[in-house]
Amino acid sequence: MPVVTLSSDSDPLSREIAVRAATALGYDYVDREILKAVAERHGVPEADLHKTLEESPSPFGISSKNHARYLAYIEEATLAVLLKDNVVCRGLAAHLYVRGISHVLKIRILADPKKLAGEISSGRTPSFEKVSALLKRRERVRRRWSLDAYRVDETDPSVYDMVISLARIDPDEAVKTIVETTGYRKFKPMTYSLKCMKDKALAGRVRAALMDRFPDVRVQADGSSVVVQTKALEREKQKRTEIIKKLAGDIPEVAAVEVQILPDIFRKAAESFR
Amino acid sequence: MAGKLEILLLDDEPIVGKRLKPALAKIGCNVEVFEDPRKALDRINGKTFDIVVTDIRMDEIDGLEILEHVIRKSPRTKVVMITGYAMMAVAREAMEKGAFDFISKPFTPDDLRNVIAKAAQALGSPIDSETATPEEPSEPAETR
Repeated sequence: MPVVTLSSDSDPLSREIAVRAATALGYDYVDREILKAVAERHGVPEADLHKTLEESPSPFGISSKNHARYLAYIEEATLAVLLKDNVVCRGLAAHLYVRGISHVLKIRILADPKKLAGEISSGRTPSFEKVSALLKRRERVRRRWSLDAYRVDETDPSVYDMVISLARIDPDEAVKTIVETTGYRKFKPMTYSLKCMKDKALAGRVRAALMDRFPDVRVQADGSSVVVQTKALEREKQKRTEIIKKLAGDIPEVAAVEVQILPDIFRKAAESFR
Repeated sequence: MAGKLEILLLDDEPIVGKRLKPALAKIGCNVEVFEDPRKALDRINGKTFDIVVTDIRMDEIDGLEILEHVIRKSPRTKVVMITGYAMMAVAREAMEKGAFDFISKPFTPDDLRNVIAKAAQALGSPIDSETATPEEPSEPAETR
């Protein structure tokens, strides 16, 4: 059965719909609750993982290096859950990194702006202009975050298979629609899509294992073979290749590792000026 | 269904049929191999196969047309799509049109045997995809 990812501009509403859809489908439900285990596994503060999913890197918040590292840990854990199938996933940005997999049904829930205004103003009744400005700001922040993290604009409807506006469709109908849509043949898992998910999950594991040492690392997996790309100076090539092969090779599902070292032109230029 | 599974295998690259026919024969299937989609369609019109395995990208007639033709003629037949140009949109289209499964190249003979075993199961005639006769020549690692 398919995997459902749910993204929304409203946390409580999307949670309610995701939980109800998972229950109706008999699927597992996964959200930021898994971050506690991720934090323990990697020895990082759980609060920073939550922050990483909310804020772009900044000198006053999470550094770029840690931001990328924490996202890699979150992806690794999320993909391991999605690999099991029959899952509704919310709040882990999976719609941004689980792309191109046909049995993943990506849904965007848009809250009723009036209810959303109440949600963000904590019950107070601010002016229409103030609420409008707040909503726009929130959307800009999310847009910026998704572009920074994955170069994808999560407010763009074309990212999703379905966008449901709760201003027009009530939550009961939304749940019913999601349940029905998972039954469409086009979202049925197949050998190809399951392999894509498996490859993605393995690449995620390898990347998470390498991120501490090589934050710029890019990983692709095909079956049990992985290709790792990173930048380095000429003199670092051999050592770096050895370390990457060792770290990636320690993952039981990895049978072969190819390391592609790209020239680090900025560091090279910096050194030549010294 | 009684006896062996009847399979039609269509791929315009001769090497694919050459490699996969013995792999499927090992698990007790009767395999007819075609490289020309028109000849394959003629054969499909004349005989009902249990499983059709077809490449997607071919000259003149593509695999999705073959799929539609097979499903129209024999809804019971399981159609397995294979392609070296797998993309989400094509995969979804194939499944929507009734494909049983979709595999991307390269794949190993074992991968295909597993899919055929699933199709046989769905047809109500389970086969053992692990069955292999050791005296047969070794097969290639994968099919591109």
